[in-house]
Amino acid sequence: MTLVNSEADSPALHVGELRLRRFRAGEFSDEAHEEIAHHIAECGSCRAKLRLLQEEQRQFERDIPFERFAGGVERACRVPRPSPNRRWVMGGAFSLVAAAAVVVLLVRSSGGVGGLGAHAVGDHVGSNRIKGGLSAVVRIAAASGGAQRSLPPAGSTTLQPGERIRLGYSTVAPGYLVAVSVDDAGEVSALYPESGGSLPVKPTQQVTFLPDSLELTGSGRERVFLLLADRPLDGAAVKQSVHEAHAQAKGDLGALPLPSFPGRTDVRPFTWLFYKP
Amino acid sequence: MVGRQTPRFQVIAGEQPAAPDSRSELRELYQKHGASVFGRCAYLLKDRSQAEDAMQDVFAKALQHYAGFRAEASPLTWLMKIATHHCLNLLRSQRAGWRGRYEREARAAKDERPQVFEMRDLVCKMLALVDSETQAAAIHYHVDEMTLDEVAALLGRSVPTVRKRLQEFATLCGKEFSA
Repeated sequence: MTLVNSEADSPALHVGELRLRRFRAGEFSDEAHEEIAHHIAECGSCRAKLRLLQEEQRQFERDIPFERFAGGVERACRVPRPSPNRRWVMGGAFSLVAAAAVVVLLVRSSGGVGGLGAHAVGDHVGSNRIKGGLSAVVRIAAASGGAQRSLPPAGSTTLQPGERIRLGYSTVAPGYLVAVSVDDAGEVSALYPESGGSLPVKPTQQVTFLPDSLELTGSGRERVFLLLADRPLDGAAVKQSVHEAHAQAKGDLGALPLPSFPGRTDVRPFTWLFYKP
Repeated sequence: MVGRQTPRFQVIAGEQPAAPDSRSELRELYQKHGASVFGRCAYLLKDRSQAEDAMQDVFAKALQHYAGFRAEASPLTWLMKIATHHCLNLLRSQRAGWRGRYEREARAAKDERPQVFEMRDLVCKMLALVDSETQAAAIHYHVDEMTLDEVAALLGRSVPTVRKRLQEFATLCGKEFSA
């Protein structure tokens, strides 16, 4: 494949290669997809690049049939090859599971809703500290007991009927916590505290789980936000900010921006998206 | 809407990773992203067999962290980042071999300099001369054609830091090209 960047053919004027790949994979919203499709229709260079990418995929499927691909991936899942440099590979928030520990996966405080992969902060399996010493986690379990699972910040999951969640956090400095959720209809529920301002939290080396299990009722999706801050937060302001984020995303919980608090740099948001049964 | 449950369930250590229900989702990954990930591995490793193994490892990671992977704004960007890091680590673990390859390619380049300036080829050749973070930044910027902001966000670094690393890399490339 020869996707050449010549100096006379500045990529700034064209759709970058990764964007073209994402376009081919259908990763963009309708609006962005339409915009890129329009550019491609007008631009011979980008059209040619896209054709190369399509041909690249066809060639790949000829060279490596699906059954061979799937067998290899499943084998790699069962028996992972030794990583050449564990620290590098495991540096992201997708650290593998430590069987004996509650795994706490982290996001950088400035991260967006979907930016989990970009926020490489943990150094190794079970590492659960970021600069500032903050972390958060959701634990999910069925009402009847049985297996539990954790969901990292920025993660999403489909809940089974009867499954409940618990929110956990850790911090090395005293602070304040607010947790809220918003559903597809834009209804914002205060989770912790249920009313008023924010909960003062003490430094905790271990993950501290908030009281009560929460059952997300109704249908559709629900996005949960847990905010940790150095200074008290106003519950009404948090709910308002989430309302605005919901409006900004036109109700698409998958594209919801993090709530913003102008003039405050001490608020660290964590978020999860749940598909209700 | 949220309902509260008392008594709460007791948190138990351990994990049960989410995974796709069937091969249909693996097939979707194969059809959408297979060539892109394999292409990245082959570009860096220059060996189809090693590239196929590396690609399998990358998709295995995606399956093992499926819920988080699916939550990504761009699953492909995540896959390409992991593929890039994985292959650079493989190359680093075979450092002597990589340096040897670079020297061979550098010698060959002096004999038959290509008529067309292909940035991606030069980038690949120059990777052995820079640190790991600059390697990743250069690949995402020059090969993936991501913007400076996007590379900075992907690598979790500030824009000025990424810019500085790319400028150093460009200086090295300039020296090589004019040699």
